Amino acid sequence: MIKYILAALICGVASGYFNNNFGSLIANSWISDYLFDFSLILLLFVMGFAFGVNREAVAKMRKAGLRILVFPFCVALGSILGGLVSGFMLGIDVFASMAVSAGLGWYTLAGPLVGQLFGAEFGALGFIVNFLRELLTITTISLTVRVDWYVPIVFGGATTMDTTLPVIARYCGSEALITAFASGFVLSLIAPFTITTIATLR
Amino acid sequence: MLNLVVPLIAGILLGYFLRNKKRFDLGKITFGVIIALIFSLGFSIGSNDELLGSLLTVGLNAVVILFFALLFSVVFVEAARRAVRME
Repeated sequence: MIKYILAALICGVASGYFNNNFGSLIANSWISDYLFDFSLILLLFVMGFAFGVNREAVAKMRKAGLRILVFPFCVALGSILGGLVSGFMLGIDVFASMAVSAGLGWYTLAGPLVGQLFGAEFGALGFIVNFLRELLTITTISLTVRVDWYVPIVFGGATTMDTTLPVIARYCGSEALITAFASGFVLSLIAPFTITTIATLR
Repeated sequence: MLNLVVPLIAGILLGYFLRNKKRFDLGKITFGVIIALIFSLGFSIGSNDELLGSLLTVGLNAVVILFFALLFSVVFVEAARRAVRME
């Protein structure tokens, strides 16, 4: 999956660059506005549909009870606070940096969504931060799991329900699976709402 | 904002009511949509000359933001685990 996404990103950057600097074949807004908005709306719809249809996910969470919500809640809160602190430190728009870190590792959502709400520069930032988060979760898992069993799940954020779930199950043990899945599920569900809410507060 | 929250909620509701119908192959649709989305994100980055020039700063900012986001997440979860005595 990652290699297709990287290929699509590189092709997009290259064609955007050439279209802009070597004679415009098509208006920029066709791709950066119309195709972008259309596919973003469709993605949110399909993701919502996948949550609604998935009866297993809801059942697993019910079984684990309310206590399991403590975990994703702290991850979301910690990430957003981290965005706030680093935004102040770097002297950039703190709402944008909070929205970026509220992506919780879901870069295919956070990049485009933050881009639409805060402009393309922050869209790129949102993509890179969250892409690195997923990459770091996978590459450092053998080290982070030694700190404590739950650290990889915190690192993974919203990705622990799908992309990083296999590695987490392998390194953190199958008991961590439910926690990881539920945490990723809750975080994936709240990420789009949190990002748009932060944008509204600005 | 509303034009993004509406499709999300509509999807959840529709999926919830159609859960007893036959299975849907969402993987392929999601894949196609994500590719289109990432391509157009790349396009808006590539067609923005100012942004391309500042990509190095963006990368540095990204590392700082990610560092603090992860640090506070771990600290909060650890604090909460002690507070509610989770295993």
